[in-house]
Amino acid sequence: MRKSLIFAGLAVSVLALSGCALGSTDSPEPTAGTATSGELAGANVTVGSKEFTEQLILCEITAQRLEAQGATVKRICGMTGSATVRDAEVSGDIDTYWEYTGTGWISYLKHTEPIQNEEEQYTTVRDEDLAQNQIAWLPPAEANNTYAVAVKTETAKELGVTTLSEYAELSQSNPAEATFCGASEFFGRNDGWPGLVEAYGISLPDSGVATLAEGPIYDAVGKGDPCKFGEVFATDGRIAALGLTVLEDDKSFFPYYNLSLTVRQEILDKHPAISETMAPVTELLTTQTLQDLNAQVDVDGKTPVAVASAWLSENNLN
Amino acid sequence: MSTVLDIRSSAARRSTGLWLLPAISVAIGAGVLIFIRFANLDSIEARALAPDAIIAATAQHVNLVVVSTIATILIGVPLGVLLTRRGARLIGGPVLALASGGQAIPSIGVLVLLAILFSTGFWMAVAALVLYALLPVLRNTMVGIQQVDRTLIDAGRGMGMTRGMVLRSIELPLAVPLILAGIRVALILNVGVATLATFTNAGGLGSIITTGIVLNRFPVLVIGSLLTIALALLVDWLAGIGERYLRPKGL
Repeated sequence: MRKSLIFAGLAVSVLALSGCALGSTDSPEPTAGTATSGELAGANVTVGSKEFTEQLILCEITAQRLEAQGATVKRICGMTGSATVRDAEVSGDIDTYWEYTGTGWISYLKHTEPIQNEEEQYTTVRDEDLAQNQIAWLPPAEANNTYAVAVKTETAKELGVTTLSEYAELSQSNPAEATFCGASEFFGRNDGWPGLVEAYGISLPDSGVATLAEGPIYDAVGKGDPCKFGEVFATDGRIAALGLTVLEDDKSFFPYYNLSLTVRQEILDKHPAISETMAPVTELLTTQTLQDLNAQVDVDGKTPVAVASAWLSENNLN
Repeated sequence: MSTVLDIRSSAARRSTGLWLLPAISVAIGAGVLIFIRFANLDSIEARALAPDAIIAATAQHVNLVVVSTIATILIGVPLGVLLTRRGARLIGGPVLALASGGQAIPSIGVLVLLAILFSTGFWMAVAALVLYALLPVLRNTMVGIQQVDRTLIDAGRGMGMTRGMVLRSIELPLAVPLILAGIRVALILNVGVATLATFTNAGGLGSIITTGIVLNRFPVLVIGSLLTIALALLVDWLAGIGERYLRPKGL
């Protein structure tokens, strides 16, 4: 009896002490900027983001960049679903997050037709959201993280499909070769599958369309099982890494989804320096840069905190 | 001193107990249908809560639960019986550890792992569900057999029964109540965990819940959850009836 008590005690203390070994591997390296001086000294900002890799990296980049200027930043990265983050910003639970112009236009401002001009899409969203919801959209980045349909490069050559119109034809003539995977959000959004099907006349039986979590889609398309084609994000690093090609949107169905940092106008009024602080970051965000950063997390397995920290250091932004 | 009054009131109590669960389940179902019919839903909510979408999701969910529970029974009960035999003393521990681990590991992790290693779809989801629900069935089978009074077994052996006959006519019938209780628990667990099957293309009520979460449509989220609860209550009720009628007479 005594021996089993001793063993039980040892087991419990090992369990408790394991907490020491598992200390946070995620704390950013001390930078020159977590000082109390700087343009944003004394500012309290809450930064949020959606749940996928690119958003997590951007959340950290924003937080670390603001901290480098002296702000006190609370992070709520990785909230599930675009609409959840948006509601959090409108209600004031978070102050800022990176959003895509097309998503704002279709999902939040509830329009049904995208604007086919990149610059105009941004200015229209910016003006309307400011007027209606007092949310400011800072000048956009070059990166366009549009929804896209991807397929393995060899399969694309084999089937002779390079555009979405050709994919629609394939779905009508040979649905078994045109199987599709998407995530729940893509199937629910008006600028997602329902709109795509209508715009291109895609016709697939229920068994030819699979719903997966976002992550496994890339792997599934790479393997060709359970789908040859899948919904991807254009800036994802796994497209190149897994040998996938993106089909051309020849009817320009998808809106432009340029990255723009949205901020509650009242926070921007209190701390206008946020604009100038984040401007150099925005300038550097091209589709290629984001693909590289995303690949470092998704393919190389680094943490978003480490990737953000390294990138800011490389560009002398912290 | 059970008087007639006592017997009648306990019978009355038993019969309300019998109808309460399905009544709640039907009430939830009716409430959901009325809401969908009369509420002002936007295009996204209407698409997610279309009648054929709900029926398809419920059918997939029931299919997952029934098949995985049958598989769990077919694996768990014989395995449990095997582990109580004399020669199996050594492997009992590791097998139970595996079953406990199977329930402790997050099912979503198992599902995605199976999807990457093998494939997505119905059978991988069933595999993940079996892994999750194995523990109650396995452990209850083992305990059920082990708690049989030794004197009864000795009496059987004394009457000339072989070990196999003892198992069939004494140990198993006496263990049935506990085994059924374990199966009932496994069924309820499976209804809950089957909501994760949506992440690897096995459908189920989880797709309605997930749509509600990612698109931030509260009605869709709540309805998906309510339907899952209603299904769980219905399954529990059916399992309770099964338990009552499969219990060997004379116990």
